[in-house]
Amino acid sequence: MAQVESKALLIPCSGIGKVHGLIAREVVYRVVEELFPGRADTLCLALLVKGDEQALAAVRSHPCITVDGCPRLCAYKNVELAGGRIEQSLRVVDAFKERKGAQPGTATALTEQGWQVTELLADQVAAQVRRLCPEEA
Amino acid sequence: MAEEEIKVGIISCSGEDLPAGTISRLATRRVLELLRPEQTVTICLPLFLAGGEGERAFARDFPTITVDGCAKQCAKWGTEAHSGPVSAALVVADLLGGDYAGQRSSRKLTARDEQAVALVAARIAEQVDTILAGTRTGKRAPGQGEEEP
Repeated sequence: MAQVESKALLIPCSGIGKVHGLIAREVVYRVVEELFPGRADTLCLALLVKGDEQALAAVRSHPCITVDGCPRLCAYKNVELAGGRIEQSLRVVDAFKERKGAQPGTATALTEQGWQVTELLADQVAAQVRRLCPEEA
Repeated sequence: MAEEEIKVGIISCSGEDLPAGTISRLATRRVLELLRPEQTVTICLPLFLAGGEGERAFARDFPTITVDGCAKQCAKWGTEAHSGPVSAALVVADLLGGDYAGQRSSRKLTARDEQAVALVAARIAEQVDTILAGTRTGKRAPGQGEEEP
């Protein structure tokens, strides 16, 4: 029987150089603040870079969902290096393979198209949170 | 012979858990895009672990300013542990007078959040100017070119 979890940790890359990093960040806020507050939370990825003990313990003791902007997979690799339990890994860049020519915005601000992709990916993450952390848990 | 152009690196913590992390990220973007676009470069902090030696050379290649949201200073300590010493380290909580209570999502930013971004960005730009002035006068920025003891 699958383990029932109380909370999932959602960790975006927040990549500062591309729009994909901002979308990753906003996907996580959409789920954590609006769709599943209480069942999903986030954690500063920079804490893992620093080697913060509490952050290391958190990613090892909760199911993690990483959301990366680009193929460098900074969120995934840092959580993996920290010994985290990664249940799902999304790449924002993949969402644009079927959206050639889309204008999602910049690393600072999203356009309407950027927010649409954010919503789409947030729904994918939300489905995983719903599976990992049922309401009755 | 033309002088080699020196650029200043800015590394933001972009801490996802705190509103101050959003301020650090947006203030850094503001400097890169609007205030000092020709004088600055950046890199994603998590690339120090996820990337290769090229990324880890960043703070050795550029005089670097870190911009952290909180007193844990993950960008500063992460940069110094994995790349090299930094030339300046700013903390949003210090600049704004304590822990910052604002919005995390860029969709929900208030006028107060925008003011905070502008203030922090202005302080980063000042540091960029100070570092560049030091390099023009031959004064080495802290952390630049220092060798291991």
